[in-house]
Amino acid sequence: MNERIIYETEEGGVAVIIPVAECGLTIEEIAAKDVPEGVSYHIVDVSEVPSDRTFRGAWSWE
Amino acid sequence: MALKLFNDSGVAKLQANDGEESITATANGAVKLYYDNAEKLATTSTGVDVTGDLKFNSGYGSAATAYGVRAWVNFNASGTVSVRGSGNVSSVTDNGVGYFTINFATAMPDGNYSVGSWARNNTTTVWNVTVGSLTSLAAPSTTALPIFCRDDGRASVDPTYVTLNIIR
Repeated sequence: MNERIIYETEEGGVAVIIPVAECGLTIEEIAAKDVPEGVSYHIVDVSEVPSDRTFRGAWSWE
Repeated sequence: MALKLFNDSGVAKLQANDGEESITATANGAVKLYYDNAEKLATTSTGVDVTGDLKFNSGYGSAATAYGVRAWVNFNASGTVSVRGSGNVSSVTDNGVGYFTINFATAMPDGNYSVGSWARNNTTTVWNVTVGSLTSLAAPSTTALPIFCRDDGRASVDPTYVTLNIIR
C-alpha cells in the first residue's frame, strides 16, 4: 500500500501506521483495528511522510 | 465392525462403524479424516486444516508436537519505513525513533507467546542492535507487540532490518 495512517499520540507526537496489503484487510479496516480507540486519524500518501528521520521526535500533524 | 461406503447427498462417506464418520469427501469440496467420529484433518481451498496437535518426527527422534510461528515480519525502520514481508501482521506502527508496534491481523490466543528477533543497522558506527521492550511500554498483548530498538550505547536507533518471529 502506498498510503499511511497518521494519528496524534497522547504525548503530542505523531504515530505513522505502515499497513500490510497482504493481510487481506483494507486500509480503513486496518485503521479501525490498529489506531487506538477514540483517536482520530488521517490516511495520507506515503510521499507526504518525511523520509528524513533526523528529527523524528519533533514531527507534528498540521 | 460394519464397513460402509456410500453416497449421502453428494458426500461420499466411509464409516468403519455404522453412523460414525471415518472419511468424507464432498464433490468439489473438502475431504475430511476423522478419529472416533471426531474431525481431525480437512482439506480446504487454501490448504489443510488440522484440529488438535500436529506431530511429526523430522529429526526430533520421535514424533513430537510442532509449534507454529503465528506471526512474522521483516521491515525497514530507516528512512521511509516499509514492510518487506510478513505473515499475520496487519501493520507496523512507527511511534518514534526506535519505537514500533507490531499489530497482528488475527489475534493471538493469549499474550504468553515467545518472540525471536534480529536486526541490522547499515552504518559502521552501530555494531549491535537489540530488539526488546521497556517496562514503560505496554506489555505484549493478544493484538499487538510493542518493541524498542537500541544500539550498544542504549541509544534508540532505526535499523535497516528488523525481523521478528512470534511463536505460540
